[in-house]
Amino acid sequence: MAMDSARKLALFEQSVLPHLNAAYNLARWLTRSGADAEDLVQEASLRAFRAFETFQGQDARAWLLAIVRNTCFTFLKKRGDQPAIEFDEQAHTVADESPDAESALVNQAALGSLNNCLEALPLEYREAIVLRELEELSYKEIADIARVPVGTVMSRLARARKRLQQCLEGALR
Amino acid sequence: MSCEIARRMSETNDPALAQHQRSCPSCIVGAHARYYEAPPTLERKIRASLRREAAPSIPWRWIAIAASILLAVSAIWNLTLLRSRAAPRQLLAENVLSAHLRSLNGTHLLDVPSTDQHTVKPWFAGKLDFSPPVKEIDGFPLLGGRIEYFEGHSAAALVYGRRAHAINLFVWPSAAAAQESSQTRNGYQMRSWSANGMTFWAVSDLNQAELADFVSLFRRN
Repeated sequence: MAMDSARKLALFEQSVLPHLNAAYNLARWLTRSGADAEDLVQEASLRAFRAFETFQGQDARAWLLAIVRNTCFTFLKKRGDQPAIEFDEQAHTVADESPDAESALVNQAALGSLNNCLEALPLEYREAIVLRELEELSYKEIADIARVPVGTVMSRLARARKRLQQCLEGALR
Repeated sequence: MSCEIARRMSETNDPALAQHQRSCPSCIVGAHARYYEAPPTLERKIRASLRREAAPSIPWRWIAIAASILLAVSAIWNLTLLRSRAAPRQLLAENVLSAHLRSLNGTHLLDVPSTDQHTVKPWFAGKLDFSPPVKEIDGFPLLGGRIEYFEGHSAAALVYGRRAHAINLFVWPSAAAAQESSQTRNGYQMRSWSANGMTFWAVSDLNQAELADFVSLFRRN
């Protein structure tokens, strides 16, 4: 039956609201705009609250991030941003990062361009990298959030890393 | 080296890790990409909107039901008014009968107890702006009279007797000549007619034939 609304609110604030930073960080990276991210996280939080009955006590952060992600994608699609993956990911599995990149990427210049390079990634790559490297979610969790097979998550991450490396090297040159 | 291996190395403090991190874009992202923290105003806004969302909603369903009931009651009330307006004669008959019953139930049957029409008629003269015809009728002795009030004006009530029965004859002036009528209400006989710019209503618990006699005798005189 429906939860008593005061209890539901308390439970929601206690289990879901601690993950607002993660929600905002994802929305901010996906939309590349602070104002949009705020609006979308607020909208996603309300959606999450309304759907809180469906929350089965799994990881609240991954659950909230899935809702934030969907809210952001809906918003971006409506705005006309196209998913930017050019070809079939499963068919073209790239090798992992080039094994011996001699260049030391870590210096101030590279770090300055790092955020730009990350923002320049296609949406799905950016999503995968942010969830993996900043939120440290598992492949399985990312696959659930992005609604793609785990293999797709892995190939997206590989491509994303490759592009990041190219971008960073380009920035240093 | 893959980032996944590096991640495992970081857990065991492998010195080769430092070298890897310097050249691994994923590790750079994890360590150095900007992590955007939610502005503090955002959490306040969200908490406020959650409270609005969780607040007990206005019970529109019950308001709608209450409104429907009110509407139905008002419709019935208006219909009732309309019907009573459509049958003003019925309403008047009710009032006449009520006056008759009141006069019998209480002690207020007669203001002027007299069997003499020459006592009763002058008594009305000081109290009404019209002069009701007061007659003595064979077989229906005059008992007296009193003042009643109908349709916004005063009326004369003449009281006649017949054995143990009382007859109230109500008289008041009216511009329009009313139709003659004869009806039975709650077991009481009622007859009405117009004459000389006045409306007459006779009411009694007498039987129909005797009241008819009374009326025809009164009108003939």
